[in-house]
Amino acid sequence: MNALILSAVWGIILMFCSILVKNKKAIGYIAAFGLLTILIGNIAETYGTQITHYNIYPMLLLDRFGLFFNTIAILSVFIFVLLSLIEIRKTGKYEPEFYTLIFFVICGITILTSYQNLLMLFLGIEILSIPLYILTGSDKKNLKSNEASLKYFLMGAFSTGIMLLGIALIYGGTGTFNLQPGTHSVVGTYHGISFLEITGLIILMCAMAFKASVAPFHFWAPDVYDGAPTPVTSFMATIVKVTAFLAFFKLCEVRVTDTLTAVNWKMIFAVMIVATLFIGNITAIFQQSVKRMLAYSSIAQAGFMMYAIFSLNDVAKEGLLYYAMAYSLATIGLFATMSKIKDYSFEGYNGLAKKQPTLAATNAIFLLSLSGIPLTAGFFAKYYMLASVIKTGSYTWLVIVGVCFATISIYYYFRLIQAMYFKTGNPDTIDHEITPFFKNMLIVVAVFIVLLGAFPQLLLNWFYF
Amino acid sequence: MNALVLCIPLLPFLGFLLVGLLRNKLSRPLIGIIASGVIGIAFILTLVIFFTHYYPANAITYFDFIKNSKYDISFSFQVDQLSTLFMLIITGVGFLIHVYSTSYMHDETPAHYARYFSYLNLFVFSMLLLVLGANYVIMFLGWEGVGICSYLLIGYWFKNNQYNYAARKAFVMNRIGDVGFLLAIFWLLARLGSVDYSIVFSNASALSTTDVTGITILLFVGAIGKSAQIPLYTWLPDAMAGPTPVSALIHAATMVTAGIYMIARSNVLYSLSPVSMDIVAVIGVATALLAASIALFQNDIKKVLAYSTVSQLGFMFVALGVGAYTTGVFHVMTHAFFKALLFLGAGSVIHAMGGEQDITKMGGLRKKIPITYWTFLIAVLAISGFPFTSGFISKDEILLAAYSHSKPLFWLTAFAAVLTAFYMFRVFMLVFLGGFRGNDEQQHHLHESPPAMTIPLIILAILAAIGGFVQLPELFGGHDYFNQFLAPVVPALSHEGENLATKEYALLGGTIVGLIIIFLFCKKWFAVNQFEGKYTGFKNVLAHKWYMDELYDAIIVNPFNNIAGFLKSIVEKSGIDGIVNGVGRFIQYSSRQVRLIQSGLVGNYILIMVLSITVLFMVFWNQDLIIAFLQKIF
Amino acid sequence: MPILQLLSDIPVTGSTTDYAPIALQLFFAIGFIATMLIASGLIGPKRKTADKLENFASGIPSHGDARQPIAIKYFLVAILFVLFDVEVIFFYPYAVNFKGLGWTGFVEVILFTSFFIIGFIYIIKRGALNWEE
Repeated sequence: MNALILSAVWGIILMFCSILVKNKKAIGYIAAFGLLTILIGNIAETYGTQITHYNIYPMLLLDRFGLFFNTIAILSVFIFVLLSLIEIRKTGKYEPEFYTLIFFVICGITILTSYQNLLMLFLGIEILSIPLYILTGSDKKNLKSNEASLKYFLMGAFSTGIMLLGIALIYGGTGTFNLQPGTHSVVGTYHGISFLEITGLIILMCAMAFKASVAPFHFWAPDVYDGAPTPVTSFMATIVKVTAFLAFFKLCEVRVTDTLTAVNWKMIFAVMIVATLFIGNITAIFQQSVKRMLAYSSIAQAGFMMYAIFSLNDVAKEGLLYYAMAYSLATIGLFATMSKIKDYSFEGYNGLAKKQPTLAATNAIFLLSLSGIPLTAGFFAKYYMLASVIKTGSYTWLVIVGVCFATISIYYYFRLIQAMYFKTGNPDTIDHEITPFFKNMLIVVAVFIVLLGAFPQLLLNWFYF
Repeated sequence: MNALVLCIPLLPFLGFLLVGLLRNKLSRPLIGIIASGVIGIAFILTLVIFFTHYYPANAITYFDFIKNSKYDISFSFQVDQLSTLFMLIITGVGFLIHVYSTSYMHDETPAHYARYFSYLNLFVFSMLLLVLGANYVIMFLGWEGVGICSYLLIGYWFKNNQYNYAARKAFVMNRIGDVGFLLAIFWLLARLGSVDYSIVFSNASALSTTDVTGITILLFVGAIGKSAQIPLYTWLPDAMAGPTPVSALIHAATMVTAGIYMIARSNVLYSLSPVSMDIVAVIGVATALLAASIALFQNDIKKVLAYSTVSQLGFMFVALGVGAYTTGVFHVMTHAFFKALLFLGAGSVIHAMGGEQDITKMGGLRKKIPITYWTFLIAVLAISGFPFTSGFISKDEILLAAYSHSKPLFWLTAFAAVLTAFYMFRVFMLVFLGGFRGNDEQQHHLHESPPAMTIPLIILAILAAIGGFVQLPELFGGHDYFNQFLAPVVPALSHEGENLATKEYALLGGTIVGLIIIFLFCKKWFAVNQFEGKYTGFKNVLAHKWYMDELYDAIIVNPFNNIAGFLKSIVEKSGIDGIVNGVGRFIQYSSRQVRLIQSGLVGNYILIMVLSITVLFMVFWNQDLIIAFLQKIF
Repeated sequence: MPILQLLSDIPVTGSTTDYAPIALQLFFAIGFIATMLIASGLIGPKRKTADKLENFASGIPSHGDARQPIAIKYFLVAILFVLFDVEVIFFYPYAVNFKGLGWTGFVEVILFTSFFIIGFIYIIKRGALNWEE
């Protein structure tokens, strides 16, 4: 509750900052401070301190898992804001509103990590999505940004429709909006589970897959990620996406287990995983723009996160948290660097190591982490995902498929490293924006990734204590 | 005191880092002082241990090295009499050779000079690690460390490709031995779950005969590689490509004796396996004879010394093989003195001759370089076993031990000893007596070496002459101080119930008579003004080292090269490359095609999404059919 | 077995056959429409003239572009009106349940109201309702 209340309040405060605060530079720091209070509030709640004791049980349930994920998400937002201060300031007179929307997205995140009711799931998804439609179009003068915003909105509206259809069907099948249905209808059933419920679940899962950009519902992702302003892309592709995955996981954790007697869900997930890995990885290979490559890479990473939903066991649960952290940090760092380079194509990175050694070195670490090279967080993230599948005892071929695609992914990640280190060129960087603070932040993030990679228990131990 | 023990190997390592990292900044004298200084301090610290009798009963553990649920291998040192003795040899002789090198390597540029000394320091560090380690893994660390240093120093003059090949040969031969050592470690881990000396030795009796024999033979394979025994000895003569002080330190005094150290350290295991002991003894005596026979007709002064080293190592293995572990170790010590002296003397001669190593082109150097002459003479007498020099006493003991073990072994060993005396006198006469056979320029160049080179020679000469008295036989009024010193770690061979006096007198008499005969023959043949140095018939076979290198080339190297060439040109080019590139091209092609789905039209996207939902439904409700179908296909 | 008989005695068990009537109806519905469309397309007379392709605008000749720009302010005011109007609707159910919800309900509605008053202040301050500018 702390994070939810605080983020709503801070959203409103930032809204009024546009009227009250004249000093443009202060706004970014106010937002960062706000994030810090939310972070502290959330950690306080993890250890039992709450602002109010309002009874919200049938709607929301703040468990350890959700609260810990909140911490990860808010921390990622905090790092994201610190790295993108200058970029966001460049959006002109709408800077405070930009932060307001981000705070509202955090509201959505806190709801999605704790929902116990399908209506709350819907509300959370909408609170998460609507600010993003606006943020995507926040570069008002840029036609690509406008196009992306409109596309995102149209397809998002479509998926919302699908989601509502699914929820309605589930209601028809069980007679309740609760995440955990008490009873199942006895009429028109298949091994004791209502047809309506099963159909509704499949449709709801399709809608969730859309939000998490899992193939074959990923089509919006490359276009929107490519068109949106770089900081927004960074935000959408990381924090928002992993939150969608968490909500997806929560849904499946209850519902798939609940209907396991009647139907086997593995097949449909396996199809989605293979499709996502295939499309994400294969398409990323041929991209000429780094931004678009990262968009496809984020789809490919979504394929790996789907493994957690496939296996639905303890390893998967831990692994999802770990993956969220590892993937978000690395991608945020990559996008933050990209916003300092004028040319987003691979050629634009040629010779970056000569001109900006710190940027090149940290980016190399991020890329290594994304491709899952040992001693970086990305390795253990992938390891947990694959291990969770092995623990289920069947579908071992999925693991082999995963490893093959991880190998393919090395190709396009290393292409960027190759451009930075082994090609000559004079990258067009915005030098006055690469402040020592920015560089230090990147180094902190890189060090954190290596630390997580060397001591994976660091993060997870904290989860248990 | 434990920190002090840790300092002993760390000091050379510090020297390695300092000299190696600052090689472009330091001046030559400073480099020499740092590099020699750290070894000198390490020597003093070792002396402190030696005189305070600091021999803790348990290993000194510093930190966990490899730890998991099954094994706990700690980084720990075993300071006892055996390791202290080796440390004394390593740091003591090492210090002298460092000092000698400061002068010998003076023509190098500062950066290369520093490179040389940093390698040398690293070598001393690794060697100390080898002898100090309290388990086989730490020993293996040092074992590999000295291997790599040996490789680096043999190939020190890396611009000459022949030298690089020699370095590579040494490395590969050593690696073959290392595999044996590693397998032995794994075997120990599998059977006993530990590689700590204390645990292994106290539980050794629990091992089956097969295990003990297997482990000891594999350990011996490691020793064969490192200590240059048949069949892996050929690298050592080639290793003479390195600078002469390196040959003295690594390829005579210390590294090559690591194998003897290992077996002496593992004496508990070897004593349980008579088969392994016999193998050690047989290989030892065979190597001693073979190398001595080759040394008879070599014309390169360093090659003679190299084969002599191989031969002497064979003697040590004979001692170990008959159970006289302390004698083997004792011979390591005396050998370190006189062989280091020989090499350094040879270095001094080469220095005087301006880089010439061919003894047929020397002669009559006695007057020109007197200090080298006298010290060399002492070394030659010591290695030939002239009565009451250090070599006499140690070799005497080996022969006695061999005699009480088996008669044929004794006679073969004794014959090798005769050959030793013969080839050493040959070298000595050809270099120092007779008339000068080089050209005028060399004659003009002849001069005695500077004090930094001669002082180590003199010190080593004194040690070579009297260093053996610590183990003088009782017959001549000595006490076996050396055996008593080592007794807590390594048991000595007992000669009880044997008539030692007769045998010793017989040996003494035999030695004196033999030496006089050999001396007279050599003087007649080699103290000459003209020397051809060309050989025919059997002599030629010996001069060509029994054609061993050619044999190895024919049966091992060439077939391997051919297989590798086939794999490279046929299998990889057309087979593997084709598959790998094909996969890459296929993926790139599919990438180009899949990309086209992303048309940018929202209508298309939504259509595909709706179709996908339908397909997912179909998959979902027919999954049993699909699975059955897939199972039928695969 | 005749199809109609199959439809008449469906056992009340959970299986896909429960939906057979729906499927049958769908089949006939789609089939009928498709047949009609195809048939009329095949049979019907075809006269393609320029007049027939013209947009029909109640007999008046069409002119200008249908996609004319309209001032964004209309939309802004309209959407803001709809927003606040819809929020006011929530007061009706609250008024009906005023007593039943008690003080808790009162506090909740005060919270709700204050939220959109804050929003209203923001809109005015930000100048969204300024017609002239």
